[in-house]
Amino acid sequence: MTTTVDTTTAVSLRGVTRTYGRGSAAIRAVDDVDLDLPRGGWTAVMGPSGSGKSTLLHLAAGLERADAGRVVVAGTDITDAGDQQLTELRRTRIGFVFQSFNLIGSLTAEQNVALPLRLAGHAPRRAEVRSVLTAVGLADRVRHRPRELSGGQQQRVAIARAMVTRPEVLFADEPTGALDSTAARTVLDLLRAMADGGQSIVMVTHDPGAAARADAVVFLRDGRVVDRLAGADTHAVAERLAAWER
Amino acid sequence: MLRLCWAGTERVSFGFPPRVGIAERWTLFVGAALSVCLGVALVQSSLLLLITAATMDPPPGLSPMAQMRFDDGRSAAVSMLGVVMGGAAFLAIFIISSTFAFTVEQRRRDLALLRLAGGSRGQLRRLLLGEAVLLGGLGAGLGIPAGLGVMAVHAWLMRRMGFVPDGFHGEWRSWIIGASLGTGLMLAVAGALAAAHRAARVRPLDALRDSGEAARVMTAARWVFGLLFLGGALALMIVAPHGGPDGGQAMAMNVPLCAAVAAAAFGPLLVPAVARLIPAGAGGPLGSLARANLRDGRRRSASVAAPVTVLVALVAGQAGASASFTTSGVEQLRRATAADLVVESSGPAGERIAAVPGVAAASTEIELPARATTGDADERETDTITVLVVDFPAYAEIHPGSAALRGLDPRTAATGPGGDLAAGTARVELPGLDLGDLPVAAGVPAAASGGADLLLAAGLVPPAQLAAASSATFVRVQPGARPDLTAFGTVSTVDEWLATDAANRNATSNKIMVLVLGLGALYALVGVVNSVVIGAAARRREFAEARVTGLSRGQVIRSALAESSVVTVAGILLGLVAAAGAFVAAMTSTAAITGTATLDPPWLLLLGLTGVTLLATGVTSVITSWSATRERPVALLGARE
Repeated sequence: MTTTVDTTTAVSLRGVTRTYGRGSAAIRAVDDVDLDLPRGGWTAVMGPSGSGKSTLLHLAAGLERADAGRVVVAGTDITDAGDQQLTELRRTRIGFVFQSFNLIGSLTAEQNVALPLRLAGHAPRRAEVRSVLTAVGLADRVRHRPRELSGGQQQRVAIARAMVTRPEVLFADEPTGALDSTAARTVLDLLRAMADGGQSIVMVTHDPGAAARADAVVFLRDGRVVDRLAGADTHAVAERLAAWER
Repeated sequence: MLRLCWAGTERVSFGFPPRVGIAERWTLFVGAALSVCLGVALVQSSLLLLITAATMDPPPGLSPMAQMRFDDGRSAAVSMLGVVMGGAAFLAIFIISSTFAFTVEQRRRDLALLRLAGGSRGQLRRLLLGEAVLLGGLGAGLGIPAGLGVMAVHAWLMRRMGFVPDGFHGEWRSWIIGASLGTGLMLAVAGALAAAHRAARVRPLDALRDSGEAARVMTAARWVFGLLFLGGALALMIVAPHGGPDGGQAMAMNVPLCAAVAAAAFGPLLVPAVARLIPAGAGGPLGSLARANLRDGRRRSASVAAPVTVLVALVAGQAGASASFTTSGVEQLRRATAADLVVESSGPAGERIAAVPGVAAASTEIELPARATTGDADERETDTITVLVVDFPAYAEIHPGSAALRGLDPRTAATGPGGDLAAGTARVELPGLDLGDLPVAAGVPAAASGGADLLLAAGLVPPAQLAAASSATFVRVQPGARPDLTAFGTVSTVDEWLATDAANRNATSNKIMVLVLGLGALYALVGVVNSVVIGAAARRREFAEARVTGLSRGQVIRSALAESSVVTVAGILLGLVAAAGAFVAAMTSTAAITGTATLDPPWLLLLGLTGVTLLATGVTSVITSWSATRERPVALLGARE
C-alpha cells in the first residue's frame, strides 16, 4: 500500500478494467477507465442499465478487485491491498450505502450505527452515536429495529452508520432506488448537506432528479466514461442520459 | 468480537450473548445447543456404562462355573457397549459438526453485512468460534445431567434384556464432567471451524449476492471427505469377505457409516439429482415451486437430507447386515447338522443312546465356560471362551464338514466353530480344573453361527464334572426306525430344536440392535428435526415473497411440506444406497464363510423408519413454515431487513 500526496482527489482510477466470465461469455463491465473524482465534492455516476456503474463503484470502494489498472481511494492505493487492509479501509476511511439498506435486522438503529466503531475496537459513546442519528433526523428512533422503520428511515440509519466513522469518501449505490419521492428527497437533502459540509460522495443512480442534486455527473456506457456534466438541472441530466441510452 | 458483549452504561449496549444476528435466529442456536446436549448425553452414558461393565466385580460366593459365566457375560457386555459407544461417538461427531456448519451457513448474509460494516475475517472467525464455545459449553453443561437420564434408560434396557445382572447401574465418575464438557466444546468448535473459515474467506459482496465463491456448492473439503469416506466404504466392502465371521460382520456393519458420510459430503450434488427423480407430491405450480426451491437452496437441501441419510444408513444397514449374518448362521447350522432328533438331558448320554436299536449315530455335546491362555511368554493373553466337550468321531459323524476330527488324538483339543482360538497350543482352565497346556489341532472351521471356540474330548474332563452339566445329544436314526428315547431326556426333532435356536439367536441379535441403535436412532431423528427447523429459520422473507406473488398461506405451507418431503425421500434413498453397501458386504462375507450368500433385509424396519422420518420432517416443516408465515407478508417485505 503506497500513500500518494494528492489531496485534491477523493478517488482516482487509472486504466481500470474488470471482466466477468470467460471466453466468449466474457463481459467487460468496466473497460480501461481513467477517472478522478474531486475531494469534497458530490459526483453522480449514471448510465444505461448494464453500463458498469455499480461495478465501477464497487471497484472504487475496494469491494471488488480490478483485473487491470490502479485504484487510489482517499489517498491510498488499494489496487493490491490485502483483505486486512481493505477491512481497515472500510472501517475507518470509507462508508458505503446500498439501495437495499443492508442493516442488521436484530440490532436497533443505535446499535447498527455503533457497529463499525465497535468492530474497530472502540466503545462508542451513546451521545456520539445519537448525535449522528440526530443529524439524519432520527433522534426519536434510536431504539427501533429496522423492521419498525420506514424505508426512508432505514436508509437514513444506513447513512448514519456509514458516516459514524467520519469517512473520507461515502459511496452510495442507488441510495434512493428503493424509496418513494418524499423519502428520496429527504435522503438527497441529507447528502447535499453533507457535501456542502465538505464530504466527498460518489453516488450511482439512474434517477436524473437525484443526479441533478450532485455537483457533477459522469456518464458511463459499455464500461467506459463517455460524458461529464457539471451543475446541470434534472432536465439537462435526463436529456443527456436519454441520448446515451439510445 | 466478543468484546461486543461488553456493555457500559454510557456505551451502546449489545447485550449478551453477542446479538449480532442472534435474536432473530434463536432457533438456530437452540438447535445447535440441543445437538450438543443430546450428543454429549449419549456419549457420556455409553462411556460410563462401558467403564462400569468393564470394572464390574462378580458377586461374592460364586462357584467357579458361575464365575466363568459371569466373566463371559461381562466381556460380552463390554464389547457390546464398545459398539454402542462407537455408534454414539460417530453420531455425535456427525450431527454436532453438521448442525454447527449449517447454522453458520444459514447466516451468510448477516456475516456479509458485518464484513461490510468493517468486520475483519479474524473478527468473524472469532465471533463464530466464540459462539461455538458458548453453545458447545451450554449444550455440554445440559448434556451432563441429561446423560444421567440416558444412562438410567440404557442400563434399564440392558438389565431387562438380560445382558447384565439385575443390580447393574451405571456408575458416576467425577472426571466425566471434564470429559463431557471437553467433548461438547471440541465437537462444536470443530464443526464451526471449517464453516467459519469458509464464511470469513468469502468476499462480502459475494456473500450478499450469493455469487462467486459464496455460491460454490461443492467445497474442496466436501470433495476430500466424500472421496475419503467413499474409498473407506469400498475398502471395507472389498475386505469384509476375507475377515472371517466376526471380522466380516464388523466390517459390513461399518460400511453404512462410511458410505453415509460420503453421501452427506456429496449431498449438494446428489440430493438435487436424486430429488429430480422423485415426482413431487403436490403437482402444478406448488410442485414446481417446491422443486425450484430445492434446486436453488441445494446446500440447505443437502444439510436437511444429511441426518436423514445417516439415520437410514445406520439403522437399515446395521440391522440388515446383522440379521443377514444371523440368518446365515442359522442356515449354516442347519446344513452342518445331519441329525433327526435332539435329546436334552444332563451328562454324556451319547454312548447309551447310540446303543438303542434304530439309532444310527449320536453325538453328545456339553457346553462349558473356560479360560484359554495363548501366546508366547512375552504376550500371554487370557480369554474367556466356550468349550464343547464331545466325542470326536461321533461329532464328525453328525456334523458334516468336521471330518478333520475323525483321526484326532483324544488328548488333543480342536478348534471349534466359534473361531476365537487358532490351532497351536493353549492353556485351558475349566471351572475348578486346570487342564494345563493342550495342543490345539485344526478341527471345525469358523462358522457364521459361531458356537464353541474349542472342542475337547470327553476323556479330558472328570466324569463327575460332566454328569452335572446339561447336554444336548444329536441323534440320527436308521431309515424307517422310530426309537423311543424319552427315557434319556427331553426329545425334540432337529427342525424344532433349530427353530427354537434360530428364534433365540434372532431375539438376541434384535436386542443388541435395539441397544446399539435405539437411542442413537432417536438422536439422529432429533438431528433430522433440528435440521428442518434450522433450514426454515431463515426463510421468512422468502415465504413472504411467495405470498405477495399470490400464494395463500396454506399454499406456502404445502409447498414447503412438498419440498421437505422430497428432500427427506432423497435422503432416505441415499441412506438406502449406503445401507446397500452393507448388504453387499454381508452377502459376499456370508458367501465366503458359509458358501451361500445370505441377505435378510429388514423390510418392516425400513417401512417404519421411512414412515417415522417422513412424519417427523413433515410435521416439523408444517409447524416451522406455519410459524414463519404468521406475520403479514407486507410487514416483512416492507422492512428490507
